[in-house]
Amino acid sequence: MTTTTRAAQRPLAEAPRRRSSRRRRGEDLAGYAFLTPWLLGFFLLTVGPMLASLYLSFTRYDLFNAPSWVGLENYQRLFADPRFIDSVQVTTLFAVIGVPVKLAASLAVAMLLNMALGAKGFYRSAFYLPSLVGASVSIAIVWRAIFIDGGIVDRIGQGVGLEAGGWVGDPSRTLPMFILLTVWQFGAPMVIFLAGLKQVPAELYEAASVDGAGPVRRFLSITLPMLSPVIFFNLLLETINAFQVFASAFIISNGTGGPANSTLFYTLYLYIRGFGDFQMGYASAMAWLLVLVVGAITLVFFKTSRSWVHYSGETR
Amino acid sequence: MKRCMRIVAVTATAALLAAGCGGGSGSGDGAEGGDVSLVMTFWGNDDRAQRYDQALRAYEEANPGVTVQETFVDYPSYWPARATEAAGRSLPDVMLMDLSYLREFGANGQLLDVSTLSGDEAIDLSGMSDSLIPSGQVDGAQVGVPVGTNAFALFTDAAAVEATGVPAPEQPTWDEYNDYVAAVAAAGATDAEGQALFGSGDYTGIFWIFIHWLNQQGVEPFTEDGELGFTQDDVAEWWGSVEDLRGGGGFISPERVNQLTPLSIFDAGETTTEQSWDNFLAGYVSNNPDGEHSLQPIPSDDPADPGLFLKPSMLYSIGANTEHPAEAAALVDYLVNDPAAGEAFGTSQGLRASSYQRDAMELEGVDAQVAEYEESIEPLLQDSPPPPVRGFGTLEARFLEINENLNYGTLSVDEAAEQWYGEAQQTLADNQ
Repeated sequence: MTTTTRAAQRPLAEAPRRRSSRRRRGEDLAGYAFLTPWLLGFFLLTVGPMLASLYLSFTRYDLFNAPSWVGLENYQRLFADPRFIDSVQVTTLFAVIGVPVKLAASLAVAMLLNMALGAKGFYRSAFYLPSLVGASVSIAIVWRAIFIDGGIVDRIGQGVGLEAGGWVGDPSRTLPMFILLTVWQFGAPMVIFLAGLKQVPAELYEAASVDGAGPVRRFLSITLPMLSPVIFFNLLLETINAFQVFASAFIISNGTGGPANSTLFYTLYLYIRGFGDFQMGYASAMAWLLVLVVGAITLVFFKTSRSWVHYSGETR
Repeated sequence: MKRCMRIVAVTATAALLAAGCGGGSGSGDGAEGGDVSLVMTFWGNDDRAQRYDQALRAYEEANPGVTVQETFVDYPSYWPARATEAAGRSLPDVMLMDLSYLREFGANGQLLDVSTLSGDEAIDLSGMSDSLIPSGQVDGAQVGVPVGTNAFALFTDAAAVEATGVPAPEQPTWDEYNDYVAAVAAAGATDAEGQALFGSGDYTGIFWIFIHWLNQQGVEPFTEDGELGFTQDDVAEWWGSVEDLRGGGGFISPERVNQLTPLSIFDAGETTTEQSWDNFLAGYVSNNPDGEHSLQPIPSDDPADPGLFLKPSMLYSIGANTEHPAEAAALVDYLVNDPAAGEAFGTSQGLRASSYQRDAMELEGVDAQVAEYEESIEPLLQDSPPPPVRGFGTLEARFLEINENLNYGTLSVDEAAEQWYGEAQQTLADNQ
């Protein structure tokens, strides 16, 4: 379409076009000039190190001696490493349980906030607050204090007759503790859900009401399909985030992934291997495996999305 | 107008770039005018930072033209930072070094061999014992200068012992010690906060205690060429020796140990004894001021040979990349030999290694107690060990983690010994 129009107009617009093309080239140049800081950062600080780590993943490198090529040995050793298997299990379990629970919680809160209430602005800020402070070091420390022997959770438990003690030292209860921490930081997906809910045309609900649909029916037949692009977006983002949990695990377990490897998240193990044991080659292999797996999961999400994500502007 | 904007944009970007590139060259060491600026790093807490501030400001005052910029972080964060600097050949001029990492850094030409400095530049090691100095040597190069010494000890808290009603043993054998730990748990006493009192946690997870146990049997933990000097069966025997205590509730639970981290169970006053380095006394006293702490040699089946040795609690190293080796060496000389510097640190870094500092100090309280202990064990001491093998830090950490699995009941002793031993061999092979 555009090419034919341009071709047709060429004879008429010849003279001004040349000038404008020169101007456009100048603008391109200025554009790139403005982009230079970002481009430099992208190539020097992101692409360069990534390629370097890809190379290092095929070497043995301890930071002190020059890397020596070992081919696929690092990747092969990964699958015979019991701690690697543990870290994959912990991270997968965390993602599979944590992400859906977090999405459900943030959608529920978004729907509550979407109702007409007084002091709406206040509630929205208040519910978003945990996400602002959630990634910080101090929250992980507070979280540890809440779940320790004699902490708030333990005392409430005692109040209702549970003599189970704190959660921090019990390998079977540390993962639930992390899932609670991540669910509590529902602010970012909640804000996106809230924006999505605003986009759903009110007349759809009115029409459904007139037809006699109750709240559950309206939720299932209007809200969910209309929100599906937003749900897809949040699902993707939260899944990727779940595979990258590091700071809270590092702090709550004092950098060990303990007790008994129950908080040995993938990136924490990667850090222990690279910066604790000085095995940068092994750590790089772990990093690239993570990139591949997260890439594959994203691809699967996109492939399957066609069957359940509905874009309202779409004509089929 | 637009062209004007474009020029501004391009110039501004260029200026930014120039500024970015120029950053490196502008921060020279101020070599002009004879002024020297040294970078020094250490790990520790505020208390140590204040001590360094005192010692270093005094040094700057006495040596016009030399300034020292010190930075510090906690121990776990210290090593990744130094390793990254080593990769870029930009280690600090002077850094505090730990024996566990000396070989890692020292075997690769990263650290200055201070024995190559001569005349006025040389660091005076004459105040240190002959058996201690080789602990700072890697492949014949003196890459570390000992700061202080420490030795292993069995600590007892008499106040906690009294609360349990079970008398603590004097110079016990391992069996006597284990029987004592079992008796304390059976007594079922609690502390003022209602927490159950125990004799000990599972001490078999501490790699250094295992090394002392091997020493007591005349087994060298590592061979000359950096291989393991003990067998998988030794590990299984060691971990198996307290299987009854572990299964029978004789030790404090691993849950409780994890809850209390970063405090140790002994810090928290929930155990009556602990085996650790003698310079930990100051920390125990400050964390548990109500305790009445005393030190004695660790358990041994032969009381004449508890397998003890003095090792450098810490060392100083000089980055081989330093532009001011003479000034860096002079600073190290001051820190390890000058009485004023010794006064600033007390025994917070172990008993001072150099007699020039040790003899000038009036020790009292905790400091005197540690000094007295190290004097009392002098006839029993074996030679100071050489710097541990590369990867020692990993072996030590995994020893504790795998032992924790025994306490959670997720591994049997044989499985645990097999897993640790296999990993240890792999770690050592990787570090060859």
